[in-house]
Amino acid sequence: MSVVAALLLIVPFLAGLASFAAPPRAGQAITAVSGVASFGLVLALIPDASQRAASYFGFVRVDALSVVFLLATSFLYATVAIYSIGYLPGGHGHDASARYTRRFSLGLNLFAWSMLAAPLMSNLALLWVAIEVTTVISALLVAIEGTDGAAEAAWKYILIASAGLSIALLGTIFMYYAGAQVLGPHYSMAFAPVLASARHLAVTPVRMAFVLAVLGFGTKVGLFPVHTWLPDAHSEAPTPVSALLSGSLLAVSFYAILRYYQIAVASLGPRFPRDVLLVFGVATLLLAALYLLDQRDYKRLLAYSSMEHMGILAIGVSFGAPIALAGVLLHVLAHAAAKGNAFMGSGVLLRKFGSKEMRGVRGGLDLLPWSGPLFLAAVLALCAMPPFGIFRSEFEIVAGGLATSHNGPTVILVILVTVAFLGLTLSANRMLLSRPRPRPGPGPGSAEPGSAEPGSAEPGSAEPGTAEPGGPLTRGEPSVWMVVPVAVGLVALLVLGVHPPGELTGLLARAVAQLGSRA
Amino acid sequence: MYLAPFPLAPFPLAQALPTQAPGVFTGGANVIAVLILLAEFGMLRQALLRDHIRLYMAQSALIAILAVIVAAARHIPDLYVLAALTVALKVIVIPLLLRRLLRETDPVGAAAGGADIAGSGGLGEASTVLLAIVVAAFGFFAASRLGIRSDAAPVTALSVSLSVVLVAFVLMIHRRDVVSQAIGLFSLENGISLAALVVAASLPLILEVALLFDLLLAVVVFGLLIRIHHGRGRSLSTADLTRLRG
Amino acid sequence: MSAALPVPVIQLFQVLTIALGAPGISGFIAKVEARLQGRRGPRVLQPYYDLAKLFRKEALAPEGASWVFLAAPLAAFTCYLTVPLLIPVLTTYGLPLGYMGDILGGGFILSLASFLVAVAASDTASPYAQLGASRAKTFSAITEPVVLFVVFTVGLITGTDLPYALAATVRSSAGQIIRPAHALAAAALFMVILAETGRIPVETHTGTNEFGMIEEARPFEHSGPYFAWLRWGSAAKQLILYTILINVFVAPWGLAASTQAGAVLLAIVALLGKACALGVVVAVIDNSFAKLRLFKITEFVSAAFLLAVLGVFTLYLGGG
Repeated sequence: MSVVAALLLIVPFLAGLASFAAPPRAGQAITAVSGVASFGLVLALIPDASQRAASYFGFVRVDALSVVFLLATSFLYATVAIYSIGYLPGGHGHDASARYTRRFSLGLNLFAWSMLAAPLMSNLALLWVAIEVTTVISALLVAIEGTDGAAEAAWKYILIASAGLSIALLGTIFMYYAGAQVLGPHYSMAFAPVLASARHLAVTPVRMAFVLAVLGFGTKVGLFPVHTWLPDAHSEAPTPVSALLSGSLLAVSFYAILRYYQIAVASLGPRFPRDVLLVFGVATLLLAALYLLDQRDYKRLLAYSSMEHMGILAIGVSFGAPIALAGVLLHVLAHAAAKGNAFMGSGVLLRKFGSKEMRGVRGGLDLLPWSGPLFLAAVLALCAMPPFGIFRSEFEIVAGGLATSHNGPTVILVILVTVAFLGLTLSANRMLLSRPRPRPGPGPGSAEPGSAEPGSAEPGSAEPGTAEPGGPLTRGEPSVWMVVPVAVGLVALLVLGVHPPGELTGLLARAVAQLGSRA
Repeated sequence: MYLAPFPLAPFPLAQALPTQAPGVFTGGANVIAVLILLAEFGMLRQALLRDHIRLYMAQSALIAILAVIVAAARHIPDLYVLAALTVALKVIVIPLLLRRLLRETDPVGAAAGGADIAGSGGLGEASTVLLAIVVAAFGFFAASRLGIRSDAAPVTALSVSLSVVLVAFVLMIHRRDVVSQAIGLFSLENGISLAALVVAASLPLILEVALLFDLLLAVVVFGLLIRIHHGRGRSLSTADLTRLRG
Repeated sequence: MSAALPVPVIQLFQVLTIALGAPGISGFIAKVEARLQGRRGPRVLQPYYDLAKLFRKEALAPEGASWVFLAAPLAAFTCYLTVPLLIPVLTTYGLPLGYMGDILGGGFILSLASFLVAVAASDTASPYAQLGASRAKTFSAITEPVVLFVVFTVGLITGTDLPYALAATVRSSAGQIIRPAHALAAAALFMVILAETGRIPVETHTGTNEFGMIEEARPFEHSGPYFAWLRWGSAAKQLILYTILINVFVAPWGLAASTQAGAVLLAIVALLGKACALGVVVAVIDNSFAKLRLFKITEFVSAAFLLAVLGVFTLYLGGG
């Protein structure tokens, strides 16, 4: 198992370096292979992690909770890597495009590497460092398009996220202080000893550390009120990166909050941490649901949907019942798959219609025989429609809330999820089920991605890409590589919803037990 | 009292002094902490970017000095290494990178000391300082309620560090250009280093090194993004970053 | 020379030291400034010769000026000479008339003197004098909070607001010198003194830059002996403020601990020496910085306010 963990840390990093050095097409192939291999490695970790937690090399720790988040990340890594093969126009022989593809592959691999490393860290300080590294790499990826909007979004993202992570660092330091009183001044902030001695930790520093951690890491999760970078960054990034940002990065940052939550519950008792999470969760969900009703840009729509689901996660944790916690962890997995699908579908829409605005997309179902229905299914899955996985997880969360007599918050949760459903499906309806109409005039041209467009005309207009020229659009898929990953993701959602495999439920049960459900 | 017959002998000053002076170490460490806070306020008022960078260098140097003092007084040898790394990274390397960035993006302005970028115009200079004083006071008193005891450095330094963090936020909000915002973020990290000196002075060295390396990485990426920003808009101002709303 | 002086004589010496030493300090600062600029500069005793010349000259009064115009210079000078009775100028122990007022009382008397001069300037209906008077009063109002907070710091440290008590506290241990509250209060007071004595960065002490003059504009219309009293008074104010800063905050050593004549003489020499040292610092500042534009003086004062407020905060939280 130590070999597996080591490989998991080494393979994506090496793949990144290799894909930068190799020609673009080969680099994309390397990325895809690395993605699938990482997913396989994580699957190999499941049986062992369901039994016990294990530590390797002094700074790596694998337990059930971290494997859940590793699953989410590696699954998206695999699917997005394959998707990028179709998304990026590679190998045209044009120099700028080749350079863009190589930088993109390097960034994608390193981004996935950092997100895989974070749940593996055994040490709270190294966890912070890993999340900071994910911020830094993803900021560069957000800016890689080189448009005005991308530059603005990247600057906003890195400034706000770094400020938030500084707050989280302050929380880490307070947690260190709390631990140092009990474990001696030179201890290494390893998670397991701190958790074991949590009962003896002084109350005030732990409380401060928890709140600062929620606020700080919550900046990266997208909790209200520190979410303001999220819609911009997720909509301006290239689509595969958006999928990873929404599906994996938010989850990994939430993982950090969960670690602090574990210590806080063991030290302060369940009430205070859960109240804090409930407040943040409800505020986030409320804001996201309201914003979903009035969006022009479909990628921004999906970004707000991510915010909504993060709010649901926080509320689920705050309920505290074992079934709610199981729902939360299943939700992490299902949301990763569903959000990945949705963003990948939106990427197909972008390639086909050339516009990021919803009013530019009409007749999706007619024009995209595969991706249209897949995208519709993904959006419906995000709205918690059965039989997909999100329905199951949200049902479990609601059941947990009612079981612990959190009736008020549960009702609010259901109402707001319904509001979000309205927002999402109205927009999807307009885009997919309407009649296709001819595009007004020639498209913005097929400028190569990566070359800096001096001042794009309108906001949200075409990502530089191979948009189809004007006139009536023809029915057909832009690329088969963009269909297969979405189909795989849909299958995964169905599996999660209808009948999660036994090993998975065992893993989830073990993780729930670790979260210390003292309802 | 003024009409009472005055004694011809000088009156005695034998009454006990109400407040005990802190020891020399505590007083000295507190003075350095307050100087760090004053450097933060100085950044609030500075218009020239070159002086901004110099204030950041001064602030980082003060943190290194405090680390050395704490190391000497409390016998924590790791802090010497930390102080040396702080000087190398924050006083030498990072300002070098920032100055090079300034030279590349604004060569005319950089020769003159950096662009005179005004604040966001919402508040005047003096009002911003007053607002920052209120914010710093909040940080001060909030920290003192925490009841934290530390044997490494005096606890007043923790209050000062929280004030530095809050004033750095005011700085980032008030400034309108990317380089000032970035330096505001770095000075925020300085404030957290100060807090770490108080409550986490014995943090294992390897972790401190990881944190510093991480900071270097962040600085490099900030530089790249600033270059990209400059490449788009030909300026360092953030006044027109208003495209993404809703 | 180990005769013990009677205490009232020592008190008289306090007033005389300030009165007679003040022009000398002004002259010394001017000389140092000139030297730093590479000039030879006037002789150190030049202000005395100036005063002597002015006393011999004819005095003119503008039409329409009332008795206030003529009475104010001498009245202000009297106020200025009252303050040395209250502060530790030569001795570490309190002198009899020192009970008349504490540090706030001294502040009031100084403000009264400033008020009289301002009223006299307004009385002249001359534009420059009125300009200077109104500016001076405005900036005094802005610097009030700073002075108050400095006084608070003194009060919090010693429990009294007697300047003698703070001087004794500072002398008592090394920890008292290096504590942040003390350093911050001293720095804030120094910035206020720069503003009150009309030095860079608030005002150019020499020269007649009309648009920047604050203190220097007020005696514009006075002439002859009245002008001499005003000049002497402002020099005395400068030395008094320096004395407060030196003997209460920064360097309260060298003061006479007994009534021996030798000790008192030593104290006089020490005071003038320390004032000269402070004068050198002021001259260096004068040559290093530019004068602030008038509307930026509020920023200068806000910086002083920041220092004073931080001093009080550090005391409140302990460890200061």
